[in-house]
Order: sequence, then structure tokens, then C-alpha cells
Amino acid sequence: MSNRRSRQSSSASRISDDQMIDLVSKLRQFLPEIHERRRSDKVSASKVLQETCNYIRKLHREVDNLSDRLSQLLDSVDEDSPEAVVIRSLLM
Amino acid sequence: MASADKLINTDVPEKDVFAFHFLQSLSNLRKQNPFDTPDQKNYRVRKIKKAAYVSMARAAGGSSRLWSRALLRRAAKDDNKIVRFSRRKRKVTWKISSKRRRSNQRAPVVEEAAERLRNLVPGGGGMETSKLMEETAHYIKCLSMQVKVMQCLVDGLHYNKN
Repeated sequence: MSNRRSRQSSSASRISDDQMIDLVSKLRQFLPEIHERRRSDKVSASKVLQETCNYIRKLHREVDNLSDRLSQLLDSVDEDSPEAVVIRSLLM
Repeated sequence: MASADKLINTDVPEKDVFAFHFLQSLSNLRKQNPFDTPDQKNYRVRKIKKAAYVSMARAAGGSSRLWSRALLRRAAKDDNKIVRFSRRKRKVTWKISSKRRRSNQRAPVVEEAAERLRNLVPGGGGMETSKLMEETAHYIKCLSMQVKVMQCLVDGLHYNKN
């Protein structure tokens, strides 16, 4: 064990494989559509990473979409009360 | 017990922090260029999109995350501004050159997927795989927060219009 630790600290402080598994399982929690696998303790890391990539791409597309709609909506709204109401409702 | 050493924190601020920063960005945009000319539509959309990413990076803690720093640096470079981040007391330097990164001993199929992830996460190119995972988790949380804020704003404006 101590050998492993000294080897770890010499090479850019890589985390152990246990921590890697822990991080991957954390990532799984954030992915909305991941299916429950039979061997859920042995995570398929590459599958999780792939799902993560897809999810990030999807979120980027949503940001694009919403930016587009916001641009349309913002220039057709009057200055005064509707915007104030919206802003208040968001910050509640 | 090597795994109990480091605490990996992926908490993000509450939704209103993101909302506040985004609204601030939007009102700054308004002050700079009033939305009057219709043929500048694409320009407006790009400005809003950029405001979304920049305000998200700021809400997420600005310089305290590698991805948010990379994002802000990239945005400032687009505007030809120079961004200076204060020197932080860092115990470990996570950014390593890609030559060293190649010696990472993870399974090649994992590394291949990680490479694709590096292209998606800001600043991912210099991160080691383990750090990349942590940054990705935080990035995804912040992105989904930002999307929620924007959706609320769109819904609110849409509802008020009708």
C-alpha cells in the first residue's frame, strides 16, 4: 500500500482507481436517462463518458435554442412593468 | 486508505445566483446596444448566447474552477480584452502538458471517450482525466442551472406577452 502511495505522489497526484470509480458514479447521477445496469457497482466508464458527452451537447443545443427565443422575445417587450414582474418572479 | 484523502466537491450555487448574473448581463447588453435594427438578429442572438455562458461562468465561481476560467479567458479573447486572474494558493497544479497526459494509464477505451469530453468542456484539453471528471460534473450542473434560468425567463416573457 505504501508503495502505491509513494508512486502516486510522484506522478502529478493522480487519484486512485477507487476515487475514479466514485467520480464516475457521481457523474451517473447527473445523467437523466441512464439505464440501471445489472452490475451497477462495476460501472462501464466509457459508456458513462459517452452519455455525458451527449448530455453536454444536448445542453449546448438548448442554450442555443433559448438564446434564440430570448432574442425574439426581448426586443418585442416594452420597457416597463412586464419585465419588472418577470424579474421579480425569477428572483423570488 | 488513499481514497479517503481528497474531498471532491461539486456543489454549485443556487438558481437565483445564476439568474442574477444572467439578468445583469442582459441589462448590460441592453444598455450597450438597444435592440432596434432587425437585420442584426444573428448578432443579437450571439451576444445573448455569449452573455449566458459568461454569466454562468461568473455565477459558478469565476476563477475557482478550471472550466469557468477557460471560458472567461476565451470570451475575453474574443473581445480583445486581457483577463488577469489573481494568483491562487494552489497545492497541486492540475494543468499538465498533453505529452505528459499521454502517459496516463487508464484503459484506452476510457481515454478515447475522455478525449471527446475534453473537446466539450472548456479548458479540458490540459486536464488530466481524473480532474476532467470532476470539472465535467460541475460543468454539467452549472449548465443545467443556466438552462433552467433561461427557460424560466422565456416562459415568463412569453406569458406576459399574451
